[in-house]
Amino acid sequence: MTALARWELRRQFKDPGVMAAFVAGAAVLALFVLYPTLRVLTYPSLRDYLEVPQSVRWVQAARNSLLMAVLSTLSATAVGVAFALAITRPDIPGRRVFQTVALLPLFAPPFMVAFSYILLFGRQGLLTRTLLGLDVNIFGLHGLWLVQTVAFFPLAMLVVAGVLEGINPSLEQAARNLGASEWDVFRTVTAALARPGIAGAALVVAISVLADFGNAVVIAGGAPLLATEAWFRMEGMADLRGASLVVAMLMIPTTALFCAERYGVGRRRYTTVTGKGSRIERPPTYPALRWIVFSICAVTTILVVLVYLGVIAGAFTAVWGRDWRLTLDHWHLARDRLQSLWASLRVGVGAGVVTACTGVFLAFLTSRASSLRWMLDFLAVLPGALPGVFVGVGFVLAFNRPPLELVGTPWILVLALAFWHLPMGYQASVARLKQIERSIEEAALNLGADGLLVLRDIYLPLLRRAFVEAFTVSFVRAVTNVSIAVFLVSPGNVVATFAILNMIGNGIWGGAAALTTMLLVLTFLTLGVARATVGRVVRAVPVS
Amino acid sequence: MSVHLRLVDVSKRFGPVVAVDRVSVAIEEGHFFTLLGPSGCGKTTLLRIVAGFYRPDTGHVFLRERRITDLPPQARGTAMVFQEYALFPHMTVEENVGYGLRMRRVEPAQARRRIARVLELVGLAGLESKYPHELSGGQQQRVALARALVVEPEVLLLDEPLSNLDAKLRLRVREELRDLQRRLGQTTVYVTHDQEEALALSDRIAVMDGGRVLQVGTPEEIYFRPRSRFVAEFVGLANLLEGEVVAPGRVRTACGELLVEGCEVSGRVLLMVRPEAIRLQTRPFGSNVLRGRLRTRTFLGATVRCTVEVNGMPWVVDVPADGGQLPEEVFLEIPPGRVQVIPENGR
Repeated sequence: MTALARWELRRQFKDPGVMAAFVAGAAVLALFVLYPTLRVLTYPSLRDYLEVPQSVRWVQAARNSLLMAVLSTLSATAVGVAFALAITRPDIPGRRVFQTVALLPLFAPPFMVAFSYILLFGRQGLLTRTLLGLDVNIFGLHGLWLVQTVAFFPLAMLVVAGVLEGINPSLEQAARNLGASEWDVFRTVTAALARPGIAGAALVVAISVLADFGNAVVIAGGAPLLATEAWFRMEGMADLRGASLVVAMLMIPTTALFCAERYGVGRRRYTTVTGKGSRIERPPTYPALRWIVFSICAVTTILVVLVYLGVIAGAFTAVWGRDWRLTLDHWHLARDRLQSLWASLRVGVGAGVVTACTGVFLAFLTSRASSLRWMLDFLAVLPGALPGVFVGVGFVLAFNRPPLELVGTPWILVLALAFWHLPMGYQASVARLKQIERSIEEAALNLGADGLLVLRDIYLPLLRRAFVEAFTVSFVRAVTNVSIAVFLVSPGNVVATFAILNMIGNGIWGGAAALTTMLLVLTFLTLGVARATVGRVVRAVPVS
Repeated sequence: MSVHLRLVDVSKRFGPVVAVDRVSVAIEEGHFFTLLGPSGCGKTTLLRIVAGFYRPDTGHVFLRERRITDLPPQARGTAMVFQEYALFPHMTVEENVGYGLRMRRVEPAQARRRIARVLELVGLAGLESKYPHELSGGQQQRVALARALVVEPEVLLLDEPLSNLDAKLRLRVREELRDLQRRLGQTTVYVTHDQEEALALSDRIAVMDGGRVLQVGTPEEIYFRPRSRFVAEFVGLANLLEGEVVAPGRVRTACGELLVEGCEVSGRVLLMVRPEAIRLQTRPFGSNVLRGRLRTRTFLGATVRCTVEVNGMPWVVDVPADGGQLPEEVFLEIPPGRVQVIPENGR
């Protein structure tokens, strides 16, 4: 530590309030982020790590995971780019439909795409078998590829659309004006400017693909993958050492991708706004490009809509694949299923409140404290690099013994989810706080507002929005989560997603579909309420 | 001189808004031609129609008598300097300037020579490998200009290129631009809302309002002989008063009867007198003198701008600053030859 930093530290810590808050923030992050992470990494011995390459199954799992990361990332990013082009260009037919549809997968529980495609395209599939008379096996890596493409393209779309919107249309006009053909304009200007954004999108997608547990566990069939292997180790063999080894292996690529996105590509984006100037209307899109983009979007839109239709149809069909009569039987939810829905609601509210409070608190802290803030900042965004299964295993290892024995209580799931979602809540608050330029505060003071009024009139309204955003995103992701839940549920507090996963595994498709539909209703109701309170929150969702 | 660029009866609507309304102008080869008007008058739309970014709803654009209305922007040879420069942020200065040549498949060695020459011309030699964000506003502006010039366009289009520069730099670049345009004999269409810029730069000016061209002429014509109230008021400061011709060369106004040289119309007219044309006196002397009260004095450096009330009507008068004081009662001497008669009484 340099002398200056020491001095700075002393100066800040003279204020006892700041010091107490700082220590509290650091302690919370150390306990719920750093400690579980270190527990996972140090649980296996060095020899365990060295023996990994000798395990055929693990090498196979690693290979499959990497293969999927490459394939699904490429396809999901390509589709995401097509959607981004579609929604940022006024002359693509159906763009409003595409815009809405592209957000739907973000709100679906992580296994829903896989589940729905089994219903539609599987052995008993409505489309493949009943309508087309085909015998298709969707289980396996090829099925997973399709599912992950549909599930994760929205992440790429949101990142790339943001970049494309930032490209000043005059740049394209300037290129045209200098003699570039439409294809040249796209190649040398539009695509060239979007390239860092597309790379960033690919990294975000790759992290999600690697960490994807829900779809993999439902549709991958016998193919081992790192994300699911951890759970099989734990559930099947109670092999904590093996589970921690696997998730540690998974953490290496996700962390590397995360760092590449955050500290590499993320900083290379071009700001193309140079001075003021009127916005020129975008010229018509190159016809060939327009139709390629339209076709990709149209096909994907059908696939997305089918995800929802498939599950909803499943909830009202007597026996899927054999008896297509409509029924309400699956809706007579057994008591334990209803309980699981309540448990999900409780966990969601708990995680939402903890994420939002911690996020706003930490953001406020890092906006004030100047030295050592990088440490808090790093710990607050670190969970974004961790796959859900890693956090699940981490919390089991960290809190299965005194003094903090939380395993078996509902709290462990609440805390694990809350801190896994922390980066989103934290970053949303940081973004809001950044909007409050010092000059705004000064303007309020200058106009006669004293300290408390500044807090009431300037900070609270802006942070209220951050709070609601953080709560909503954390809630939605908590009630739809499976990757952490599978490790942390205990018999007394089974959550809905876990119950659904079990039903799918046991072939109770109608019940699973009905409960999934209930979850969707819960999710969209929450989003609706949030939207009514503070406006759109969608953009805050995808930061993975 | 021959006509280089001709617009014939060009109109363009955006929804209910008529942006350009039946505009016809002819621009001669080597001229610096300015479209001048307030924001929203359609000048930028007209420039973009020339560039090919918009297709006019009616009318045609001719380049050397060849109709180019339907040509795409790529094929027109009308290089443009954008208001916000639109430099490619992912390319160096050299790549930016060379972009048009690359698109024209100019052979690399020759392209390098041309880039070097044009960078020399705009005073940017040595900055080839810089990126736009590493340059100052003035340098970015020159890159944009170089990028347009290097392709040796038929017509150079400039869309308020100086508006993002600070006042001092604007003056300097303005002179350089004029000088460069003269030396190259480059036909240029320039868009601005700044009347001073237009007067300083142009061979000819078209004043626009509401999508229409109200008057085309040399800067002197526009300034001294406006043909409508709008042109008189938009370009420079003007004292305007309505009156009625009572006899050839005599006009009755609210401020009294005025002698007006060369007044050959009859009926109601609009008179315009520029502030600097009026002489301020402390005693009535000569003909065409109005008595008034001095209301305000604003010191502007070289001149003092006075408001003088005559019969309830305020007159703006610019007098040379000599440090002296003026009494409250003053007399305005209006030389009959400096009164401009605007026949059209409407706009």
